[in-house]
Amino acid sequence: MHGSPPLRHLLPLGLLIAAGFVLPQFLPEYFLYIANTLMVYLILAIGLDILLGWSGQFAFAHIAFYGIGIYGTALLNMRLGVPFVLGMPLAAAAAAAIGFLIAIPATRLRAVYLALATFAFAECAQWVYRTWDSVTKGPDGLRISAPDIFGYVVGTDKRALPVIAIILALVLAATLYLGRSKLGRSLCAIRDSEHVAAASGIDVKRTKVIAFTISAFYAGVAGGTYTLFQSFIHPDGLGVWTLVLVLSMIVVGGSGTLPGVVLGVVLLGLLPEALRAAPRGLLVWQEFAYGLILTLAIMFMPRGIWGLFNRRTRARRKPALSVEAPAPARALQHQSP
Amino acid sequence: MKTRAKSALLAAAAAVALALPATAEVGVTDTEITIGLFGPLSGPLIAYGIDPLNAAKMVYDDVNAKGGIHGRKIKLVIEDDKCQGSELVAVVKKLVTVDKVFIAHGGSCTAAIAAAQEYVQREKVPYVMLNAAGDNAVFPPTRYMFGSFQGTQRVYGAALAEFAMRELKAKRVAIIVHDDDYGKANLAAGKSVVERMGGQVVAQERIPLSINDITAPVLNMRAAKPDVILSGAYPAPAVLLAQKYGEFGMTAIPLLQSTQGIPTPSVFAKNVGNPAALKNFYHPWSFNDIADEAVRKQWSDMYKKHFPGREAGPFMVTGLPSALSVVDTLQRMGRDLTREKFVDAMEKLDLKTPLMPYALQFGPGRRDALRGVYVVKFDGTTQKVMPGVYSWNGKDGM
Amino acid sequence: MTLVLQGVASGIVTGCVYALVALSLVIVYKSTDVVNFAGGELVMLGGYFGLFFLIYADLAYPIMFVLVPVAIFVAGALFDRITLAKVSGRTFVKHVDLVPLVVATIGLSYLLKGGVRVVPYTEEVRRLPPIFTGPPLFFDDIVLQVQDIAIIGVTTLIMVALWVFFRFTLLGKALRATSQNARAAALVGIPVKTMRMAVWGLSASIAGIAGVMLAPKLLMTPDMGSVVMLAFAAAIIGGFSSLPGCVVGGIMLGIVQNLVGIFLSPQAIAVTPFFVIMLVLLLRPQGLFGETIALKKV
Repeated sequence: MHGSPPLRHLLPLGLLIAAGFVLPQFLPEYFLYIANTLMVYLILAIGLDILLGWSGQFAFAHIAFYGIGIYGTALLNMRLGVPFVLGMPLAAAAAAAIGFLIAIPATRLRAVYLALATFAFAECAQWVYRTWDSVTKGPDGLRISAPDIFGYVVGTDKRALPVIAIILALVLAATLYLGRSKLGRSLCAIRDSEHVAAASGIDVKRTKVIAFTISAFYAGVAGGTYTLFQSFIHPDGLGVWTLVLVLSMIVVGGSGTLPGVVLGVVLLGLLPEALRAAPRGLLVWQEFAYGLILTLAIMFMPRGIWGLFNRRTRARRKPALSVEAPAPARALQHQSP
Repeated sequence: MKTRAKSALLAAAAAVALALPATAEVGVTDTEITIGLFGPLSGPLIAYGIDPLNAAKMVYDDVNAKGGIHGRKIKLVIEDDKCQGSELVAVVKKLVTVDKVFIAHGGSCTAAIAAAQEYVQREKVPYVMLNAAGDNAVFPPTRYMFGSFQGTQRVYGAALAEFAMRELKAKRVAIIVHDDDYGKANLAAGKSVVERMGGQVVAQERIPLSINDITAPVLNMRAAKPDVILSGAYPAPAVLLAQKYGEFGMTAIPLLQSTQGIPTPSVFAKNVGNPAALKNFYHPWSFNDIADEAVRKQWSDMYKKHFPGREAGPFMVTGLPSALSVVDTLQRMGRDLTREKFVDAMEKLDLKTPLMPYALQFGPGRRDALRGVYVVKFDGTTQKVMPGVYSWNGKDGM
Repeated sequence: MTLVLQGVASGIVTGCVYALVALSLVIVYKSTDVVNFAGGELVMLGGYFGLFFLIYADLAYPIMFVLVPVAIFVAGALFDRITLAKVSGRTFVKHVDLVPLVVATIGLSYLLKGGVRVVPYTEEVRRLPPIFTGPPLFFDDIVLQVQDIAIIGVTTLIMVALWVFFRFTLLGKALRATSQNARAAALVGIPVKTMRMAVWGLSASIAGIAGVMLAPKLLMTPDMGSVVMLAFAAAIIGGFSSLPGCVVGGIMLGIVQNLVGIFLSPQAIAVTPFFVIMLVLLLRPQGLFGETIALKKV
């Protein structure tokens, strides 16, 4: 798979943008809000998947970069008057830069230590958001004023939806291109076996750092997009829970595959809304239900729901975006009993 | 043929009905007023939501049983906001745009409520908080959001500080609060009152929410030799604080603890496990049910009747004042109900009830209902209401 | 000066608390390479089981102290048997994909937390009565509770017992063999699957005991599992594969937290463990006593 994605992959993006313009005309704001929320989660989830699913890096710092995107875009807009079209890329670039800096020492670490180190970084970031109140207003939370895009004031779900749909479409297109690029294939090669990848001439360390940086950029973009329709950000929303939620979306949907991630975001994003219909006495079971879903999903659908239903995936035991490892490497990796 | 004609007729009738201009306000029909009621019904802060929400529901059910308000019954749509901003915003948007409620009544956590403030203002939906302290969402006041029915954190901070200065004759005050929005407001008000009344804040400790070893802050306070300690800690750290303060032999120094740390005083005392630590222990309380047994019994009996399966804690009453205020406002409005008129009527609220020490009041520039509370001395077994009501002057800590 | 000494003394006690939980994490990591993100929730479960046996079932303290580890042992073993075995698929694969296993432990943590929260009794903060009650002990100006000494004692005891167990007993050696080379272990007749279950059970029961020891100090809420991050920090300081390292790491962390609270600000206490984790992994990933396997070869 080289070069540009086939038209049939790009067509849904056109539908997405069209839906972004059509839906706000007749859906109540609640549904538009849910749609906007899901689209932001999707950008977040894809970013995490690039790190986790594509390159097999079990890194948890994602939520910190999301925060940089949100605070960065909002503060640039409110304090310095930087318009959104400039502010969001800047904030995302800042997130990417910090991701780059983190990646250099972090990629030396083995899986488990990588997870813990990046998790610790995310917690430190949340503490900074909470304590640096002169900038972030700390525990009071930051009120975000509606950005405007060349005069088109966003701020309500109705007005934000088309813009977010366009941003998401761009992100998806970029992801499709990335998946087919040399870089994308290198990332997948690293996941399967670092030794083999290195032997094939891939600069493993450099590629991993790039993956981190790209992933952080995605998170920054998601954060910037958040400011289009949300009026408030509080450090409590930038912690473990949100991170685990995004992780679960990838895992349940199907990590390493774009349709899988979309599926996971939609299912787990809509779950709390679906549970609203539960009888009042059962509402308290939500947390337990969530843990159960995650555990059952990882037990019975390790490749996610998409992996379960996708025949291609079942036959090849690898998601579509991966690189086939040569036979000898396979033997090294999976010692058959 | 018959069914086709019937459905054609129905379609025509529907078209006519849709074409007619809506005469009533959203959420109001001839016979019903729809109110969206919500609070944390799951998650870590469930203790601040379930009983108070039930209490509010109880008030509405009771009104319905007595015939409703000017011929209309109250219909409730109940939702869970998990005390998280993202959930609360989703809930409010659903209640307003899908369930089409007349007003939104809910929220126990100020930070979550603040997330919905912009929407509520924009869509001009009256929003009445359930039992949140509300500081961040009532200062500065906005037209549509009403709250703080048991007092803001500024009220608690100021009241305890005033009690310490006036009654306990303190000069050196140590303040320990969390590093969240409640802590910030509590500290600001307390500090301002202490300094205004000629005292000195000799230690201010801001502790993380997740603290499990409270040694350092307590040592810091002990070293500063305070006459009194004011605390805004939450339940677990509040217990740790009382324990450590007892362990380190500091019990001669009165300890004044804000309400959020002791939703159920008897459980608090059991957790502390050391009666000596509560020798000089006080806390604020916004309700009359401790001082007046009749009041307590009235509401607790009513709760038992409505919710026989559930043992309500003392925090249950915090759900009452907001519901009583909504009912009072609706009654004062009469038959002509619009959202704008509701806001105007709510603004004129001046509700005296045997339940509260002060009247619940709003005003043109005021969106926090209660500014005076009792101070209660609690020795682990009995609560004794101290004479007087301690209030916030609207300026300290602003 | 008394300030600092008291901070150190209390820090040692809290540190032993972290160390106990860290021991539970390290045991399972050494044997299965899995990082148990549900470690904190097992502690929480131990505390609540203790409360249940003591208050509801009205059993005597010593009986409760024995029952809780047994009950949590069963919970841990079952979790491995039912969930982890399914997730890891084949038992002999050395380079098992760790991500699903760790995700499974995350799922378990929400399962346990959510399940406990359903019980209305857990809405309020609760406290498990300590084993030893009595007036506080004074060493000069330093104050310690009797329970504090018990915590230090139990932690040291468990650490020594575990060290002896893994070094000198047949079962311990079998467990070590399983972790080093599962295929070879199977070939010499060690029942690998059962060994794995036993390790998880053992780790869980230590977490359970930690819960019973800690609950009087930490107070019980369904969220008390967040202490797991401090345990991770302790384990990382000590070196994730070293048992004595856990204790040293835990004590160091407890002391550092208090000193930070005294000299910097209590606000900084929250971020200390995370800062320490990053620092240690940046500068010396193997911690104080760990083997140098934290770094990858590539």
